[in-house]
Amino acid sequence: MTNNLKVLRAIKNISQEELAKQIEVSRQTINAMEKGKYVPSTVLALKLARYFEKPVEEIFSLETTD
Amino acid sequence: MKTHFLFPNKYKKIGWILFIPALIIVKLSIAFNINLDDYLKSNVFALYQQGILDKPSFFVVVKNNVADELLTICLIIGGILVCFSKLKNEDEYISKIRYESLVWATYLNYGIIIFFTIFLYGMPYLNVLFYNMFTLIVFFMIRFHYLIYKLNKSTSDDE
Repeated sequence: MTNNLKVLRAIKNISQEELAKQIEVSRQTINAMEKGKYVPSTVLALKLARYFEKPVEEIFSLETTD
Repeated sequence: MKTHFLFPNKYKKIGWILFIPALIIVKLSIAFNINLDDYLKSNVFALYQQGILDKPSFFVVVKNNVADELLTICLIIGGILVCFSKLKNEDEYISKIRYESLVWATYLNYGIIIFFTIFLYGMPYLNVLFYNMFTLIVFFMIRFHYLIYKLNKSTSDDE
Protein backbone atom coordinates (compact mmCIF):
# COMPACT_ATOMS: atom_id res chain seq x y z
CA MET A 1 0.00 0.00 0.00
CA THR A 2 1.25 3.47 -0.81
CA ASN A 3 0.22 6.81 0.61
CA ASN A 4 0.75 10.48 -0.05
CA LEU A 5 1.00 11.58 3.56
CA LYS A 6 4.23 13.41 2.93
CA VAL A 7 2.63 15.52 0.20
CA LEU A 8 -0.48 16.24 2.25
CA ARG A 9 1.67 17.18 5.18
CA ALA A 10 3.69 19.53 3.00
CA ILE A 11 0.49 21.16 1.70
CA LYS A 12 -0.74 21.69 5.25
CA ASN A 13 2.79 22.74 6.17
CA ILE A 14 3.00 20.81 9.43
CA SER A 15 5.81 18.70 10.86
CA GLN A 16 5.66 14.96 11.56
CA GLU A 17 5.77 15.85 15.24
CA GLU A 18 2.75 18.12 14.96
CA LEU A 19 0.74 15.63 12.90
CA ALA A 20 1.60 12.88 15.39
CA LYS A 21 0.29 15.01 18.22
CA GLN A 22 -2.91 15.85 16.32
CA ILE A 23 -3.83 12.22 15.70
CA GLU A 24 -2.37 10.86 18.94
CA VAL A 25 0.33 8.51 17.71
CA SER A 26 4.10 8.58 18.04
CA ARG A 27 6.21 10.48 15.58
CA GLN A 28 7.92 7.21 14.69
CA THR A 29 4.62 5.91 13.37
CA ILE A 30 4.12 8.90 11.05
CA ASN A 31 7.69 8.49 9.85
CA ALA A 32 7.28 4.76 9.24
CA MET A 33 4.03 5.31 7.33
CA GLU A 34 5.58 7.96 5.10
CA LYS A 35 8.44 5.61 4.32
CA GLY A 36 5.95 2.86 3.51
CA LYS A 37 7.32 0.66 6.28
CA TYR A 38 4.07 0.55 8.21
CA VAL A 39 0.47 0.03 7.11
CA PRO A 40 -1.78 1.76 9.64
CA SER A 41 -4.88 0.28 11.22
CA THR A 42 -8.29 1.32 9.93
CA VAL A 43 -8.75 3.57 12.96
CA LEU A 44 -5.53 5.42 12.26
CA ALA A 45 -6.28 5.68 8.54
CA LEU A 46 -9.69 7.18 9.31
CA LYS A 47 -8.16 9.60 11.80
CA LEU A 48 -5.72 10.77 9.15
CA ALA A 49 -8.56 11.13 6.66
CA ARG A 50 -10.52 13.21 9.14
CA TYR A 51 -7.52 15.39 9.87
CA PHE A 52 -6.74 16.05 6.20
CA GLU A 53 -10.47 16.28 5.36
CA LYS A 54 -10.11 13.82 2.50
CA PRO A 55 -11.56 10.38 1.81
CA VAL A 56 -9.26 7.53 2.86
CA GLU A 57 -8.83 6.45 -0.79
CA GLU A 58 -7.25 9.77 -1.62
CA ILE A 59 -4.60 9.28 1.01
CA PHE A 60 -3.95 5.56 0.73
CA SER A 61 -3.99 3.42 -2.38
CA LEU A 62 -3.44 -0.27 -3.06
CA GLU A 63 -0.49 -1.50 -5.04
CA THR A 64 -0.62 -4.39 -7.50
CA THR A 65 1.19 -6.61 -4.98
CA ASP A 66 -1.53 -6.12 -2.32
CA MET B 1 -4.89 3.20 21.74
CA LYS B 2 -6.20 0.37 23.86
CA THR B 3 -3.54 -2.14 24.79
CA HIS B 4 -4.23 -5.40 26.51
CA PHE B 5 -1.98 -7.03 29.09
CA LEU B 6 0.51 -4.16 29.32
CA PHE B 7 1.45 -2.30 32.50
CA PRO B 8 1.36 1.49 32.74
CA ASN B 9 4.58 3.29 31.81
CA LYS B 10 5.61 4.08 35.40
CA TYR B 11 6.09 0.38 36.17
CA LYS B 12 9.02 0.24 33.76
CA LYS B 13 11.17 2.15 36.23
CA ILE B 14 10.18 -0.21 39.06
CA GLY B 15 11.11 -3.07 36.74
CA TRP B 16 14.62 -1.71 36.17
CA ILE B 17 15.04 -1.13 39.92
CA LEU B 18 14.24 -4.80 40.61
CA PHE B 19 16.01 -6.26 37.60
CA ILE B 20 19.37 -4.48 37.44
CA PRO B 21 20.50 -4.94 41.08
CA ALA B 22 19.39 -8.59 41.04
CA LEU B 23 21.30 -9.16 37.81
CA ILE B 24 24.43 -7.50 39.22
CA ILE B 25 24.27 -9.61 42.40
CA VAL B 26 23.87 -12.80 40.37
CA LYS B 27 26.75 -11.85 38.04
CA LEU B 28 29.02 -10.98 40.98
CA SER B 29 28.20 -14.22 42.77
CA ILE B 30 29.18 -16.15 39.66
CA ALA B 31 32.36 -14.09 39.17
CA PHE B 32 33.50 -14.56 42.80
CA ASN B 33 32.23 -18.11 43.04
CA ILE B 34 29.81 -17.39 45.88
CA ASN B 35 26.98 -19.85 46.36
CA LEU B 36 23.82 -17.78 46.71
CA ASP B 37 22.10 -20.78 48.24
CA ASP B 38 24.07 -20.20 51.48
CA TYR B 39 22.35 -17.00 52.59
CA LEU B 40 19.24 -15.85 54.43
CA LYS B 41 18.27 -19.11 56.10
CA SER B 42 14.60 -19.16 57.04
CA ASN B 43 11.57 -21.37 57.39
CA VAL B 44 9.60 -21.80 54.21
CA PHE B 45 6.45 -23.66 53.37
CA ALA B 46 6.92 -26.39 50.77
CA LEU B 47 4.14 -28.00 48.78
CA TYR B 48 6.56 -30.77 48.00
CA GLN B 49 10.16 -31.32 48.90
CA GLN B 50 12.72 -34.06 48.62
CA GLY B 51 16.40 -33.93 49.40
CA ILE B 52 18.96 -36.29 47.94
CA LEU B 53 18.35 -39.75 49.46
CA ASP B 54 15.32 -38.38 51.38
CA LYS B 55 11.79 -39.59 51.24
CA PRO B 56 9.51 -37.06 49.57
CA SER B 57 7.27 -35.03 51.87
CA PHE B 58 4.26 -32.87 51.15
CA PHE B 59 2.92 -29.68 52.76
CA VAL B 60 5.77 -29.25 55.20
CA VAL B 61 7.73 -26.33 56.64
CA VAL B 62 11.41 -26.69 55.83
CA LYS B 63 14.57 -24.68 56.41
CA ASN B 64 15.96 -23.13 53.26
CA ASN B 65 18.29 -20.31 52.28
CA VAL B 66 16.05 -17.94 50.42
CA ALA B 67 18.62 -15.60 48.80
CA ASP B 68 18.41 -17.39 45.48
CA GLU B 69 14.60 -17.54 45.58
CA LEU B 70 14.39 -13.79 46.24
CA LEU B 71 16.79 -13.02 43.41
CA THR B 72 14.88 -15.27 41.01
CA ILE B 73 11.63 -13.50 41.84
CA CYS B 74 13.27 -10.06 41.48
CA LEU B 75 14.70 -11.01 38.09
CA ILE B 76 11.43 -12.38 36.77
CA ILE B 77 9.09 -9.70 38.09
CA GLY B 78 11.56 -6.93 37.24
CA GLY B 79 12.11 -8.39 33.79
CA ILE B 80 8.38 -8.71 33.10
CA LEU B 81 7.77 -5.11 34.17
CA VAL B 82 10.62 -3.82 32.00
CA CYS B 83 9.42 -5.82 29.00
CA PHE B 84 5.70 -5.29 29.29
CA SER B 85 5.23 -1.78 30.61
CA LYS B 86 3.98 0.61 27.97
CA LEU B 87 6.44 3.02 26.44
CA LYS B 88 5.59 6.69 26.88
CA ASN B 89 4.47 6.83 23.27
CA GLU B 90 3.05 3.33 22.95
CA ASP B 91 0.88 3.19 19.84
CA GLU B 92 -0.06 0.62 17.21
CA TYR B 93 3.30 0.68 15.42
CA ILE B 94 5.20 0.20 18.69
CA SER B 95 2.80 -2.66 19.52
CA LYS B 96 3.67 -4.28 16.21
CA ILE B 97 7.37 -4.02 17.01
CA ARG B 98 6.65 -5.42 20.48
CA TYR B 99 4.83 -8.40 19.00
CA GLU B 100 7.50 -9.11 16.41
CA SER B 101 10.24 -8.87 19.02
CA LEU B 102 8.42 -11.37 21.19
CA VAL B 103 8.10 -13.84 18.32
CA TRP B 104 11.77 -13.33 17.45
CA ALA B 105 12.85 -13.83 21.08
CA THR B 106 10.76 -17.00 21.41
CA TYR B 107 12.31 -18.52 18.28
CA LEU B 108 15.82 -17.64 19.45
CA ASN B 109 15.15 -18.99 22.94
CA TYR B 110 13.83 -22.35 21.77
CA GLY B 111 16.38 -22.54 18.96
CA ILE B 112 19.10 -22.34 21.59
CA ILE B 113 17.39 -24.97 23.74
CA ILE B 114 17.15 -27.36 20.79
CA PHE B 115 20.81 -26.73 19.97
CA PHE B 116 21.92 -27.53 23.52
CA THR B 117 19.53 -30.48 23.81
CA ILE B 118 21.36 -32.04 20.90
CA PHE B 119 24.91 -31.08 21.87
CA LEU B 120 25.06 -30.86 25.69
CA TYR B 121 24.75 -33.75 28.11
CA GLY B 122 24.80 -34.18 31.88
CA MET B 123 25.21 -31.34 34.38
CA PRO B 124 25.91 -28.57 31.84
CA TYR B 125 22.48 -29.22 30.35
CA LEU B 126 20.84 -28.52 33.73
CA ASN B 127 22.56 -25.13 33.62
CA VAL B 128 20.94 -24.46 30.27
CA LEU B 129 17.53 -25.19 31.74
CA PHE B 130 18.34 -22.97 34.71
CA TYR B 131 19.37 -20.02 32.56
CA ASN B 132 16.36 -20.64 30.40
CA MET B 133 14.16 -19.35 33.22
CA PHE B 134 15.35 -15.87 32.27
CA THR B 135 16.54 -15.97 28.68
CA LEU B 136 13.18 -15.38 26.99
CA ILE B 137 12.71 -12.17 28.98
CA VAL B 138 16.28 -11.06 28.32
CA PHE B 139 16.19 -11.80 24.58
CA PHE B 140 12.93 -9.93 24.21
CA MET B 141 14.20 -7.02 26.28
CA ILE B 142 17.33 -6.66 24.14
CA ARG B 143 15.56 -7.11 20.80
CA PHE B 144 12.68 -4.76 21.56
CA HIS B 145 14.82 -1.97 22.98
CA TYR B 146 17.30 -2.31 20.14
CA LEU B 147 14.53 -1.94 17.54
CA ILE B 148 13.06 1.06 19.38
CA TYR B 149 16.55 2.60 19.56
CA LYS B 150 17.04 2.05 15.83
CA LEU B 151 13.61 3.49 15.11
CA ASN B 152 14.25 6.62 17.17
CA LYS B 153 17.59 7.05 15.48
CA SER B 154 16.19 6.74 11.96
CA THR B 155 13.33 9.08 12.83
CA SER B 156 15.63 11.76 14.19
CA ASP B 157 17.98 11.36 11.21
CA ASP B 158 15.07 12.47 9.02
CA GLU B 159 14.81 15.75 10.88
